[in-house]
Amino acid sequence: MGKEYVVTLCEGPSCIHKGSRRLRQLLEKKLEKHGIAGKVRTFLSGCLGMCAKGPIMVINPGYVIYGGVTVDDVDEIVEQHLIKDNPVARLTVKESHLYNRFFRVFGDAKFFGKQMRIALRNCGIIDPESIEDYLSLRGYEALAKVLTDMTPEDVIEELKKSGLRGRGGAGFPTGLKWQFTRAAESDEKYVICNADEGDPGAFMDRSAIEGDPHTVIEGMAIGAYAIGANKGYMYIRAEYPLAIERIQKAIDDAKKHGILGDNILGSDFSFDVEIKLGAGAFVCGEETALIHSIEGYRGMPRPRPPYPSVKGLFDKPTLINNVETWANIPVVIIDGGDWFSKVGVGKSNGTKVFAVAGRIVNTGLVEVPMGTTLREIIYDICGGIPGNKKFKAVQTGGPSGGCLPEDFLDTSIDYESLAEVGSIMGSGGMIVIDEDSCMVQMAEFFLEFTQSESCGKCTPCREGTKRMLEILTRISKGKGQDGDIEKLERLGHMIQKASLCGLGQSAPNPVLSTLKNFRDEYKEHIYNSKCRAGQCKAMLSYLITDNCIGCGACLRACPVDAITGNKKEKHLINQDICIKCGKCYEVCKFDAVAKS
Amino acid sequence: MSRRKKETHSYSRLKGIHKVVTPLDIIKKKRAEAVSRIIGKGYLSTKRVYVGMATCEIAAGSDEVMRVFRDAISKGGLTDVYLSQKGCVGRCNLEPTVEIIESGKNPVRYGLITPEKAQNIIDRHLKKGEVITEWVID
Repeated sequence: MGKEYVVTLCEGPSCIHKGSRRLRQLLEKKLEKHGIAGKVRTFLSGCLGMCAKGPIMVINPGYVIYGGVTVDDVDEIVEQHLIKDNPVARLTVKESHLYNRFFRVFGDAKFFGKQMRIALRNCGIIDPESIEDYLSLRGYEALAKVLTDMTPEDVIEELKKSGLRGRGGAGFPTGLKWQFTRAAESDEKYVICNADEGDPGAFMDRSAIEGDPHTVIEGMAIGAYAIGANKGYMYIRAEYPLAIERIQKAIDDAKKHGILGDNILGSDFSFDVEIKLGAGAFVCGEETALIHSIEGYRGMPRPRPPYPSVKGLFDKPTLINNVETWANIPVVIIDGGDWFSKVGVGKSNGTKVFAVAGRIVNTGLVEVPMGTTLREIIYDICGGIPGNKKFKAVQTGGPSGGCLPEDFLDTSIDYESLAEVGSIMGSGGMIVIDEDSCMVQMAEFFLEFTQSESCGKCTPCREGTKRMLEILTRISKGKGQDGDIEKLERLGHMIQKASLCGLGQSAPNPVLSTLKNFRDEYKEHIYNSKCRAGQCKAMLSYLITDNCIGCGACLRACPVDAITGNKKEKHLINQDICIKCGKCYEVCKFDAVAKS
Repeated sequence: MSRRKKETHSYSRLKGIHKVVTPLDIIKKKRAEAVSRIIGKGYLSTKRVYVGMATCEIAAGSDEVMRVFRDAISKGGLTDVYLSQKGCVGRCNLEPTVEIIESGKNPVRYGLITPEKAQNIIDRHLKKGEVITEWVID
């Protein structure tokens, strides 16, 4: 036998129930028996989305899928396929879900094993600048299908069946939103793609647009058909030049093929997309502020209702969805709402993309079925914390979300579960924090961001975040006062309740959730002048211990000449001059510099 | 307007009576054309090389890597290779990434590729068929 096979067994809940684990044990025993255990690699994957035909076994190369495999079939598979290279025809399943191609290339890598790529199904697979690549993978088939034999009502019905919810963070049912916009009467309607991604550390939308721009356009065209619009806007940040270039090329190519413009694909549906650049204001990700920005006004939110579905862009009914939501639409149409609704858990269907960053071995973009736990993402997919450090917290939802400590690692990722424990799904930022980070500084960082991005229209957000930030800065500088914690909580709850838009309503979340889960750290800062992570410089001092042999390395490294001492004698740090940069700590080879 | 709109949604009804070209027919034809154009560009070569070219990958140096492959094909006599760019697959800490897909074999994914490593991949993997395991992402 020449080929080196990889056998993947689906380890989704449904396949486990049908015995996939027993199959694996048996398979490994047989491989051992035939003496080919070293040549065949077995691999476990998360749900492959073919639950109805489970247990599923995939054999590569060749991408042969076996369904309904029983213990009696294992012998035949090993002898026929793995030894004689002769696939067992009676067990093969012909499945052509849209994400299959991703799995072919990346399915046996550990990082991708537990992932399921629906929105990002083509990212990293196709040439994003080639419409041919997209067309060859059933691109624009969903749009054509909709134009050929679905009424707008059918499309909305399919979407409602799928249970897809807005991926921008709030999680509003997409089908309902479409229905409301369709029901609003007007001579003109609009669709908007919100690609104003502003969360620090989040880059899901950028990757989606740079990796597969046509999917987003196809989704928008289907949305426009469903609500009866002819004009779409792509609102994208100017900081994403390559994404803009690629989406522009995609629009031009689609027009050349008659897929955008007048009478799309010979039908009488016409639709065009225009790109609008955002100048990088965080608040413009809020839908009403975004609409103001497109209209040419200053990007500021307005009270809702009326919602954009009734009165949006230029006061016309407007359908506004996030990039990731749009990217899911073609899959819902082609694979069907029923199939989509089976992926995920509870009221959260489908998958969610996360940008995982921070203190983690494998930083990156992951797309997992809803219901995956935080632990699975952090440890199984992303490889845990580097340098044997201890996990401290995970921040989901960026500056609008909350920090969850270790006790919550087994929280299932879905809209309801995350809200229950005091965080949010958010748009998909996920920052992992280890024991070396200070939670007060973390909260300060996020609040500094929202405070400077506050548009200033409403007082609670403008003034409240400023006052909260002052208190946090005071605490991290070692000047915290008795009563500061209570004051932060009071202010935070007030801002949540009284702010006009989502920015203000969610801005106190990082502070409130760290106060709830890491209250001791705040107390230590205020009452004991202690920062357990050793990050708050005001509470830190460096000392030279008796381990010092007087080599002079620290003396030379100190940028402010705060260290004195003769050669071969113990050195001394002058605390009045020391700026606590930590250089001496880094260069010392004898563990003679201590933090306290 | 309303009458014309109705026609759009009744292709399936019309199809039985007249010969109507539906949007689905058009897109299927386009797909067939796209596939043949891709094949025309050499897709059926025994080896296909994909280089990540998103903002993040380019920032990590993937355009230099791409140039090495391009030069090897145009000047270095590397034949029977289909070279293409791709978007970001999400392996941020291992970028730039390069995939090599050969018919009948499992895809090989390389991470942290520099121009020098790319040259090595050309000389050892693409020309001699040796998988350079220490750079492989799993």
